[in-house]
Amino acid sequence: MVSKKPQTGGAVLFNVLQQHGVEHVFGYPGGAIMPIYDALYDSDIKHFLCRHEQGASFSAIGYARASQKVGVCLATSGPGATNLITGLADALSDSIPVVAITGQVAMASMGSDAFQEIDIFGLSLACTKHSFQVRDVNELAGILHQAFAIALEGRQGPVLVDIPKDIQSALVDEPVDNVCIAKPTLVNPEDNFLLKNEPANVGTALALFNQAKKPVLYVGGGVGMADAVTELREFISVTGIPSVSTLKGLGAVEPTDKCYLGMLGMHGTKAANLAVQQCDLLIAVGARFDDRVTGKLAEFAPNAKIIHFDIDQAEINKRRKVDVSILGDLKVNLPALAIPLSIQEWYGECQHMRESFAWRYDHPGENIFAPALLKEISSTMAKNTVITTDVGQHQMWSAQHMSFDHPTNFLTSGGMGTMGFGLPAAIGAQISRPDDMVIAVTGDGSFMMNVQELSTIKRFQLPVKIVLIDNSKLGMVRQWQDLFFDGRLSETDLSDNPDFVMLANAFDIKSKVITKKEQVSAAINEMLTHDGAYLLQVKIDATDNVWPLVPPNTANDKMMEST
Amino acid sequence: MQQHTLRITAQDQPTVLERLLQVTRYRGFIVTGMTMFPSVDESVLDIELTVQSDKSIDHLHHQLNKLIDVSEISVNESDALKCRA
Ligand SMILES: Cc1ncc(C[n+]2csc(CCOP(=O)(O)OP(=O)(O)O)c2C)c(N)n1
Ligand SMILES: [Mg+2]
Repeated sequence: MVSKKPQTGGAVLFNVLQQHGVEHVFGYPGGAIMPIYDALYDSDIKHFLCRHEQGASFSAIGYARASQKVGVCLATSGPGATNLITGLADALSDSIPVVAITGQVAMASMGSDAFQEIDIFGLSLACTKHSFQVRDVNELAGILHQAFAIALEGRQGPVLVDIPKDIQSALVDEPVDNVCIAKPTLVNPEDNFLLKNEPANVGTALALFNQAKKPVLYVGGGVGMADAVTELREFISVTGIPSVSTLKGLGAVEPTDKCYLGMLGMHGTKAANLAVQQCDLLIAVGARFDDRVTGKLAEFAPNAKIIHFDIDQAEINKRRKVDVSILGDLKVNLPALAIPLSIQEWYGECQHMRESFAWRYDHPGENIFAPALLKEISSTMAKNTVITTDVGQHQMWSAQHMSFDHPTNFLTSGGMGTMGFGLPAAIGAQISRPDDMVIAVTGDGSFMMNVQELSTIKRFQLPVKIVLIDNSKLGMVRQWQDLFFDGRLSETDLSDNPDFVMLANAFDIKSKVITKKEQVSAAINEMLTHDGAYLLQVKIDATDNVWPLVPPNTANDKMMEST
Repeated sequence: MQQHTLRITAQDQPTVLERLLQVTRYRGFIVTGMTMFPSVDESVLDIELTVQSDKSIDHLHHQLNKLIDVSEISVNESDALKCRA
């Protein structure tokens, strides 16, 4: 409703957010954003007070990734704004639609090194898709509409809107209402990112596809972002093509598909890496030949011709020269190439690799084997459970040993590999999907990076489950020190960790520690059936490693499988 | 190292130059010349950017093209010349 009262910039902000269907925002107040928080007081939008702006930014990301909506976070100027930067970088790297609102000092003080003034616009250039600084309250609504459109159109990403304090309290000439609009209007419909794909390319691609004897589908995060999971699965079922996935692509391919070989790359499965190294045609779908995927680039898929489906032209030929590119929306373009193939022999070989290199879970001794525990959680948890992870060994084990039936159910910091992601992302996911279970798989190092967010869980009584894989180490770095730095364990010991159970209890979170295999099943059951937040601390051997591992600057078929 | 000239039409935002330079530097190109021509229509800026790198100019072309404020961009091929350096 448009009220008769004069409307401030702050009120305009929340009304426009509502026009875009925003119901929840994450943030932290401060001096230069007070008029906005004052307007929030009258708004129907629900604000979640996080305990660090970095937490707010990751919660916005988790919210966006779990629900495929735009995530929104708010911070004050100066240190509040700089605390958002890591989250913005993370969102840029994984193409997540986030709109970040920062307060700025009043216009008259800008450029004078005022209290809590930082050039957040300048800082944002390297870590956002686009950014705005509002200089006239009457332009605020239009800028916010553009921010939403830019965050969502083409390759998605984070957008920052910096709003000086006096603009937040200035009155607009024309008030705006808060009625949800169907779809954000594009900034400039003419330069739509959804490029028309060229018919000649489709022809060439079809010809390559028909000639291929050993094709492999290389599935990336773009599939989920394009909401093209159904189209991808249809493509696989029509073509019968063997597939592999990136970290961010996990969940796109049905995990039970007989010729799905799992994750490729540095910690990929043997089957996935061998199939890609042997294939004669690699079809990249919403993937970007990231260095963690390709290993030594010059020896990646050495016999393969490449067809690259993507929405971002800048990704074509960026790291690997392609034979054909199909630009545009995967939802539209994937079906164009779905033709039945006759590749029975290759299909058989891939299926054989899938079976003969399947994961093994034998692990001597009484101590808990994290891969087996994660697999058990994965097979016990309800369908549609959301898993978030932090970064390190536990992250790779989760990617390897848990299975997901949709990319919105596996949230991990891929491109940035940001420790501290897991807990706040789980909070965002839980808020966007209150009826689904959310489990954060974290490490003893990463957990401490945003541990303050336990307070957010407490305040909003969120039933987030936390599985803390505790090796008393910065395990992934320790593994590399052991393998590639002569075992010189520099600054990776965490044997003086706090008492995590006591820590959880301090936030009214039920908690338990387990150390032996025989305790695993009962503990998982207790956690999954507990009504409310729960932290399960799982002690494991400090020396357990993630296998396989493709050493740096090595071809993906030369993986190490143990020491 | 190859030298290339890019012709860019951009929104005349106070920030567009900063963005162009940031992307150019990050993507591994050195600016060897830059000229701006405010167009008749004051909201638009024509920019000629001369850059040098051993990387493919296509990379920079496509990355700059993603900038929201850039409405047109082309590589002037005839300007490409081999530098002595
Ligand atoms: C913010 C940040 N700082 C540093 C790193 C480098 N890093 C990657 S994994 C890792 C260790 C993580 O330890 P933990 O969370 O305990 O996970 P583990 O590997 O032991 O499972 C570190 C320090 C990072 N990825 N992110
Ligand atoms: Mg650890």
